[in-house]
Parts: sequence; structure tokens; C-alpha cells
Amino acid sequence: MELDAATLAGLFLHAFSLWYVIVPAVLIGIVMGAIPGFAAHNTIIILLPLTLAFDVETALVFMVALYCASHLGGGVPAILVNIPGTGGAAATTLDGYPMTKKGEAQKALALSFVASVLGGLISSVVTLFALPYLSRVGYYVHSVEMVVVMLFGLALIASIAAQDMLKGLIAGAFGLMLGSMGADHIYAAPRGTFGLLELFDGVPLVPALIGLFAISEALVMLEETSIVRAEDGAGARPVDWPATLRNVAYACTKWWHITWCSLLGLVIGVIPGAGASIAAFVAYQQSLFFSKTPEAYGRGHPEGVVAPEAANNGVTTGTLVPLLAIGVPGGSTAAVMMVVLQFHGFPFGPRLFVEAPGLAYGVIVAMAVSYVLMIPMIFPMVRYLSKVTVVSTLYLAPLIVAFTLVGAFVPRGFVFDIGIAIAFGLIGYVARKTGYHVAAILIGVILGPLIERSFILAMRISGNDPFVMFSSAIGNVLWVLLVLTLVMPYVLKRLRERSGPPAAEGAE
Amino acid sequence: MLSHPRLPRRRFLSAAAGTALAAGVGRAAFAQDYPSRNVHITVPTGEGGGADRDARTFTKVWADHMKTNFEFDYYPGAAGQVGYEFYMQQEPNAYNLLFSNIGPEVIMLTLQNVGIDIGKDLVYIKKTSTEPMAVWVGPSSPFKSLEALVDEAKKRTVTVSVSRLPHPASIGMLALGEATGATFNLVPFGGGNPSAMAAITGEVDCCALPLANPISLGDQAIVLGVFADRNPAPDEANGAPAVNDAMGTKLPPLTSSRAWGIHKAAIDKYPERIEILKTTMQETLDDPAYAEAVKASGLPTAFIDVGNQEAAMAEAEATRELAIRYKDLLTGG
Repeated sequence: MELDAATLAGLFLHAFSLWYVIVPAVLIGIVMGAIPGFAAHNTIIILLPLTLAFDVETALVFMVALYCASHLGGGVPAILVNIPGTGGAAATTLDGYPMTKKGEAQKALALSFVASVLGGLISSVVTLFALPYLSRVGYYVHSVEMVVVMLFGLALIASIAAQDMLKGLIAGAFGLMLGSMGADHIYAAPRGTFGLLELFDGVPLVPALIGLFAISEALVMLEETSIVRAEDGAGARPVDWPATLRNVAYACTKWWHITWCSLLGLVIGVIPGAGASIAAFVAYQQSLFFSKTPEAYGRGHPEGVVAPEAANNGVTTGTLVPLLAIGVPGGSTAAVMMVVLQFHGFPFGPRLFVEAPGLAYGVIVAMAVSYVLMIPMIFPMVRYLSKVTVVSTLYLAPLIVAFTLVGAFVPRGFVFDIGIAIAFGLIGYVARKTGYHVAAILIGVILGPLIERSFILAMRISGNDPFVMFSSAIGNVLWVLLVLTLVMPYVLKRLRERSGPPAAEGAE
Repeated sequence: MLSHPRLPRRRFLSAAAGTALAAGVGRAAFAQDYPSRNVHITVPTGEGGGADRDARTFTKVWADHMKTNFEFDYYPGAAGQVGYEFYMQQEPNAYNLLFSNIGPEVIMLTLQNVGIDIGKDLVYIKKTSTEPMAVWVGPSSPFKSLEALVDEAKKRTVTVSVSRLPHPASIGMLALGEATGATFNLVPFGGGNPSAMAAITGEVDCCALPLANPISLGDQAIVLGVFADRNPAPDEANGAPAVNDAMGTKLPPLTSSRAWGIHKAAIDKYPERIEILKTTMQETLDDPAYAEAVKASGLPTAFIDVGNQEAAMAEAEATRELAIRYKDLLTGG
């Protein structure tokens, strides 16, 4: 199948004709993505009996639309109430919530939605044309390179900890320790599980995320009557249509930031085993590194919202590349899509492009069309969702606790996980009250097991030669970039100090 | 063993959400007592893997014979131990079944001292398919034959991606190394899909997995050898030879069978339910629609291998003996 203009037009028109499948899927995806625990993977699993009853094209279009929308939805609670709906939105809290606290929730939502939609759209279109090249990424990025990529994410701990390095590093180390719990990757020997079977597969991410962010935030929230500081007068700020349009237009001015962050997310998404969490943390860290105003990050910097949201939506198409190009799913959501293809007797990998090219390219086109169909939804969401912030915390906090505890239960169906969420909630609350950053703990919990797995694989393959970490050209380039990433901020800071007073906090 | 309560997830969600979906998958009461509700299936590996594929292929046809629907839960982790332990905590009422992969899971139960005794605690009541282990390479690999791979492994350590160490494919590679003087370094990638990816992208030299895996990958995988007396699917597996034929070794056949497992307590308490399960499973296996479904899922029908409880349990016992024999190699002991 040649991808000429006529074919492409046909594919896009056909995808648009499936609007009645895409629109409900997008709505479900946004809502589910916004509730921690109900992210795309779990929602798709829950709805699998339904999608298996559809024909294969409808099923795949429904799933990809839901998948894309859930990444957009995950940013909503991250911004409004400091609770990421998905692991990929955890980095969004770093600047999204401070913007909300400053009374700029509407602006933050506009940034998040525009970054998600544009980022997803750009990466889908790029994937459509560059699929053969993207599929080669997996041939060059192996365990060694993955170790370095994840170290970029871990380096974010140092950035977060800039204000109090000791506490930041302690929080990060604590997260890494928690992340090392569970069966080891070689002999499946349990470590630090206290004999609890529920911990054999490691600390479950969703309950940990819910506890650290949602439960602890609800407890902190109860100390105030409203999320927004009264002195910011956010309640009085207009949330009319002109303001909505202005905010969306402002978000569109960040198009270049959105573009490169989404492409970064796409490349990371292509790597099997990587995912939205890694992409979002790395994009945030890189955004901070290249920023002229790095000191404004963590205090409500617009680009601190744009970077992770563009990246985690860039990941969406990336995770499909290994499934489509090679035949091996790159992530859990792609694995479920593979089940649907198998169930209907369709091949996957290169054979799908030979036997059903319309379906293979159609999946990617459906992603692009899903993002296009999300555009009209941005405006009402930007206008009305920000009103959540003026709801009294007396109502908001219990609602958050109730919803998120159900979310903690859903992925694995263990009552135990509700207990995990509560325990992490208490840890998070103590951390917040004592100045330890919960995001640093979470980065350790998320990236710890991933980096350990890649490290052990690399060591095992090399026969336990530590120099394997410097054995590949791409890996060595990444090492250099990592060192530059860590060192350059201090060099630049020194240079700025010498050349005059620091730039104004130009978060704009 | 844990004793705290665990709510069935699907039931909880159905009740909590009251969704149309829940209504859709519900079923009217049938005249017979069993099954009067959905049957719950535990898969001790992740969704999207070979077990998931095979369980869904089977239940697609079985639903017509059992007159019920099926719900799936996945419990990967600790080489299948997590799934088995959670399954054993479920009520032994014949509404809870385990879809097992006898080879790797019996080896895991034997090596990891899980405390679940096959025969006393859990019984495999029906075998549905059997496939041999295979060693294969990616399309850009320099190794075009098993002999070339083994020759290379005599000069240097050859890396092999495997899904986990306690697995018949791992035993196959270690036994091959022992018999030929070759050195294979097994690298457990934690699942069939990542293991396959490592071989295809050249991160490792070759991959050892059940034969269905390379077959499902089509041109992306070149099978070099099959750990069985013969290659049961030569057309789909590029005519790869049996390892013993190619290398002149005398390795035992290394196969694995999909089988339905159930609590021994359920067999003792509800013999009539077990009879219904066995009868309808056999009807499914005899149904031409099942062979069609297997074919549609991309697998050769030659893998369909019907076996009753005695056959399934005999295979489990043979696998246990194999695990004990190669225990030191698999545990580094």
C-alpha cells in the first residue's frame, strides 16, 4: 500500500466517518484518565468483553481513541488538585498545581490540553510517515542505553531538590528503596515484601501514586477552606469565553516547545518497556535544562506544564510502533490491542501491513483523528473545569479520598492496595509537612524498578562487566549529555551571576 | 498464606458502576444449577501473552458448550507464583479456574518452594495443547543454523533471551550447552514479548521460547531447532530440525502444555460440576470451531493436544522430575 495523497485522504476520511466510535471513546477516556487507577490500560481491560464483540476496526479505533484521551484526562486532576490521574501526569503536578494555587488554573488547563492535543497530533502524523525509521529505534536502544535514559529522569530529583538538596536526595533515595521491593528480576527471589504476596510484583504504582499525591493532598487541603489562596482572588477572575480563547491562544504560542517535547515522547514511547512516566519526567527535565528561566520551574512555569503533557501524549503513538512494525507490543495497552487482533484472527507486525494495510495505517490515522476531534472539547473543558478549584475543601477532600481509594483498588482488585494508598498517604502528608518533596519519592518508586531491570539485564548480558555501561556509541553520547545536563545548570548559574542579576521570573 | 479478604474485582465493578457492560455480560439463569453465573479464570501471566491468547481462543468456543461467560484476571509476577497463590485463595467452588502452562509453572512450583502441591492442592483436569520449546534468532542474525550457533557458543559465551529461568526453554538451552560443550548465558527478560524483542533487535544472540512465539512473529523469527522428537509444525517454523537430530544429542523432549487447573477441594466437593467442566471442555476440543479459532489466532492446529486428567497430571509429574534434575543449573546452586 503506497501512502500517496489519495490513500491518505481516504484513510483520514474513513477515520472521520467513525466519529460515532471516537467521540464516546474520547469522552470515556478523558473521564477515566482523570480518575487515578482507571487509566487507559485498566479501562481497556475492563471494557475488553465489549471491544471483543465489535468488529476489529471498530474495536481498535475505540481503544486508541480512549487511550489517547486518557493521557489528556490525566493532566486535569494533576493541575486542579495536585493529583495525577496517571503516572505520566505526575510531572505535570510540579508546575500545574502551583499555577492553580496562583489562580491560573484555567491557563494551566489550556496549556495542558493544547500540549496534549497538538503533541499527540504531531506525533501521530510523524509516526504515519516515519514508521519504518521509528521502528529501528528499538534496534539501537537496548538495556545499556535505557539505563542512561532513565538516569535523565532520576536527575530530575536533583532539580526538584534544588531548594533543599539533602531533603530532596533523601526523598529520592527513600523512593528508590521502596521501588526495590518485590521479586528480583533473575531468580524471582522476594525482597522486602514482609512475606506479603501483594508486594511480590513490587510496590503497586497506582496505590502509591494515589497515596503520595491524592490522600496526602486531601489531608493538606483540609487545613484551608479553598485550594486557591484568597489573596490571589482567583474566584473573581473571569472564566468567560473570551478569557478561555485567550488562554488557548496563549497555549498555542508554545508550539515549538510542544513539538520537540512530543517528539521526545514519541522516541521514548517507541522503546519497549519505556512509557509515559519516563517520557514525562525526561521531557520536564530537558525543558528545565534548556529554559532561560529554570528558577521559575516548580513555581508555576507554563513550560513545566507543556513539556510533560506533550511528551506523555507523544508516547501514545510510540507504544504502537513495536506492535505494528515488529509484532511485539511495546507496552501493556498495546498488548491488549494485540489480544483483539489475535481474537479476530488478524496478524500483527509487518504482516498486518501486507494483509490488512488499511487497518495498520488506519490505527495511526485514527489516533490523529481522535486528537483532531478533541480540539472542540478543549474549550468547554478549559472554561468550566477550573471551577473545581473554588469548591470548598470540606466537600472536595472527602470526594477525592473516596474516588481515589476506589481507583487504588481497581488495577489489581486487592483490598490490600487500599491500605497501601492510605499508608503512602500518611507518608506523603508527613513529607509535605516536613519539606520533603513527594514527587521525588514517586520518581524513585517509578523509575527505581525500571532502571534496576535494565541495569541487571545489561550486566547479565555482559557477564557482569561494569564497563558494558560504556560499550555503545549511543550510550556514550547519552552519558555525555547526561553529564552536561547535570553540570551545565551550575555553570550557567555562575555565568549569570557574574554577568548581572538573574532574569525576572518570566514564566511567560 | 494470606487470609485477608479480597473482593472479586469484576463483581465489585459491576455492582459499583452498574454499567451497561455488566448487564451485557450477565446471563439469565439456566435450568441446570451449574454454571449459574460467570466462570472466573485466573491467568498467572500478563495480559497479551501466549496464555491470554490461548485462554481466550478456548473460551470463545467453550462459551457455547458451557452456556456461560468467562471473566479473566491476570496475576503476573515471581515466575507465576503470584497467580498460583492468589488462585489458591479463591473459593474452591468450580467457578474459579486456573489457565496454566504446565511446563514453566510446575518448574516454578518445584524450585521456589511455593507450598502448593500439585495433586493435593491443585489438579490439572484437561490438557488442551502442547508445544515444544524452540531456539530461534532474529532476521538479521548471522546464525543460519543450530550448528553455527553451537559452534559460536563453543568459542564464546552466546547470550540467550528467555522469559524466565524456571522454564523448559531455559532447561533446553542449558542441557544443550552441557551436551555439546557450548556456553550459553541465559538472560531472563520477564516475558515472551520482551525476550522476543531482545532477539529481533540483536540485543542478544538468540532466544529460547515455546515454538508458538516465533511462529506468531512470522518473518521476524527464524527457528533454528526444536526441543522435541520432531518439529510438529515444519511449514510454520521454516522446517527447523529437532535439536537432537541436528546435534546428535539425547536431550529429553522439552515441551509445555496448556491445561485447565482447579482446586482439589472443588473436585472433592463438587464432582458433578467437575464432570460438566470436563465434558464441555472435551466438546470444545472436538468442535471444529476450536481448530478454526486456533488457526485464526495464528497457531498451527498441530499444537492441539487433547489430554485427560491422568495425562495432564503425568506431564506435571514428568516436568517436576525434570526441574529437580536441572535444579542446580537453574538456581545457580
